[in-house]
Amino acid sequence: MSNLSMDIYRKLYLIRKSEEEIRRLYPENEMKTPMHMSMGEEAIVVGVCHALSHDDQVFGTYRSHALYLAKTENTDNFFAEMCGKVSSMQKGKSGSMHLCDPNRGFMGASAIVASHISVAVGAAFANLRLKNKKMVAVFFGDGAIEEGTFWESLNLACLMKIPVLFVCEDNGLAVHTSESERHGYDSITDIVGKFKCNVLKEESTDAETIYKLVLKAIKLNEENQMPCFLHLKYYRYLEHVGINEDFNIGYRSKNEYIDWAKRDPIKLQKSKLLALGYGKELEIIELQIDKKIEKSIFLAKKAPFADESELYKDIFSDNEAVI
Amino acid sequence: MATMTYRQALAKAMREALRDNPKTVLYGLGVTDHTGIFGTTLGLEKEFGKERVFDTPISEDAMTGLGIGLALSGYYPIHTHIRNDFMLLAMNQLVNSAAKYKYMYGGCFTVPMLVRGVIGRSWGQGAQHSQSLQSLFSHVPGLTVIMPSAAQSIMDCYRYAVNEYKSPVISFEHRLQYDYSFEVKERRDDQNPFTSYLIRKGSDVTIVAVSVMVQEAQRAAKYVKEKAGIEVEIIDINCLTHPDVDMILESVKKTGKVIVADTSWASFGVCAEVARIIAVNAPDSLKVPLKEISMAKSPCPTTKALEKHFYADMGDIVDNIYQLCSGKEKHNQSLPDEEYKKTLYKEFKGPF
Repeated sequence: MSNLSMDIYRKLYLIRKSEEEIRRLYPENEMKTPMHMSMGEEAIVVGVCHALSHDDQVFGTYRSHALYLAKTENTDNFFAEMCGKVSSMQKGKSGSMHLCDPNRGFMGASAIVASHISVAVGAAFANLRLKNKKMVAVFFGDGAIEEGTFWESLNLACLMKIPVLFVCEDNGLAVHTSESERHGYDSITDIVGKFKCNVLKEESTDAETIYKLVLKAIKLNEENQMPCFLHLKYYRYLEHVGINEDFNIGYRSKNEYIDWAKRDPIKLQKSKLLALGYGKELEIIELQIDKKIEKSIFLAKKAPFADESELYKDIFSDNEAVI
Repeated sequence: MATMTYRQALAKAMREALRDNPKTVLYGLGVTDHTGIFGTTLGLEKEFGKERVFDTPISEDAMTGLGIGLALSGYYPIHTHIRNDFMLLAMNQLVNSAAKYKYMYGGCFTVPMLVRGVIGRSWGQGAQHSQSLQSLFSHVPGLTVIMPSAAQSIMDCYRYAVNEYKSPVISFEHRLQYDYSFEVKERRDDQNPFTSYLIRKGSDVTIVAVSVMVQEAQRAAKYVKEKAGIEVEIIDINCLTHPDVDMILESVKKTGKVIVADTSWASFGVCAEVARIIAVNAPDSLKVPLKEISMAKSPCPTTKALEKHFYADMGDIVDNIYQLCSGKEKHNQSLPDEEYKKTLYKEFKGPF
């Protein structure tokens, strides 16, 4: 119990602290990339990724800071890419919205809503045929359900018995548009449940609860060879894009945030560990992470940018003779 | 030298793709039905198994995404569309995902895959089954677009795509060509086939053409040689995204007279692109203004009465050659009559 709880806290704290650093440093204008911040969703990505193995694969959206850090814990590459430096494995071509790390199973993040879902189904289909036991989880918001390609992908996975985890992170908002202005139905889980698909849902902000739910999803898949749709609620703390709160605009109420913040995923996990008497250990972990992030930011700031030749690299196949 | 129809070359290329690369998978609506993508995939499900050759739901977008996911995992997907018009439903995946998956992630991934789209023409294909959408895709860095004009190009380009090339390739096959016979030689192993081909040498006029317009250009070249002794040079662009620019410029500098013959609309298309290449690199090389042969700038009408005005054929190319060589629009040379053309064209009968 304690090791699991501590590991989960470590990831939660790493993500939150990294984004707090982005909020602190963004005004310096060294991170020239649109920030779609993850604050509020940490329990979902940590819960899911902790249930996955190192080789399992994830596909994310433009809001993937938390997913990237939960899956890879690679703050060096994270901050290098945020600063657009050549020391990042993406060499500054990805920025905040297209994070990836194929060595740790992070297979890409798309800024076109829902477009990565079918790609994830394809990767899961490949794994099924390769019999390599790799699981694929694809993360998307509730807005993605309004895209036709979500239904095409769901139908395909159900038809072909592809064991993908559809992870719907539902924050009730598409940019600033509420679900009441977008949904011609009441319950998405009821509808998806009519497909040959396992369906699980949860509103908890407890990463351990999500973790256990995902273990159940994986077990269900092993039993009945069907994909699983996980409907998970969370609250987006900050504006759609940017590092600020936006409760003053009026499309949502700060009272909603206050309610959710009472069960903030990082505070919740910390309070559980404190209650178990792990205060000292928490201090050590937090200090280690603070130092790790500080070093990553230092390295990122120090690193050079790519030179102009990088502009024309990796467009076509490497054996392309004429460009 | 052996002969082979375009259809036979496609069937052979599909079979060899599955035989030579164990990671090839072939799918698309109708791939396993009794028509087998106009006879190019028949028997392959039986030979290679339904794991590798399979039919699909009508979900062009998701099936393209599935292909990208397969490609990321080491497979080589071949996705077929019985009309390239349906590829517009996969435009998002092709343009926003496939074209960018390598670049956007700093080279961390490659997406080798082949998308086959068939261009329809004649027998009332109408506005939505006759488009020729190569320029839309050629516009986007990251997509390699080919338009094989002959059986040899099919064999060379598809083999190279499947076994050596590590980027998404989109191939536009012209339905009219399926029954044409072509001479084929031993494959050109040592050459990258994603380039342009010099089809015919000549000193008077250059025709830069793609797809079935290469055949039309050859017919026109033969006609004007016999009737007027005019020597036409023909360049088959073949790979629209990677044309042999030097080959085009060298020919234009030699003849000073250029006709561009495309299967689609002229503006923003192959005609516009070839004119751009010449204008940018050799603006003084044209002795007379460039001529463009293209579809009329309208959607394709269904009735034959209107359709015949929509498409250009070898007669239009001959007319343009005479105009260029005489320097006059009214050149007084006789054009090929309907009887002459009938000996060239196999009448295409529907439904497809």
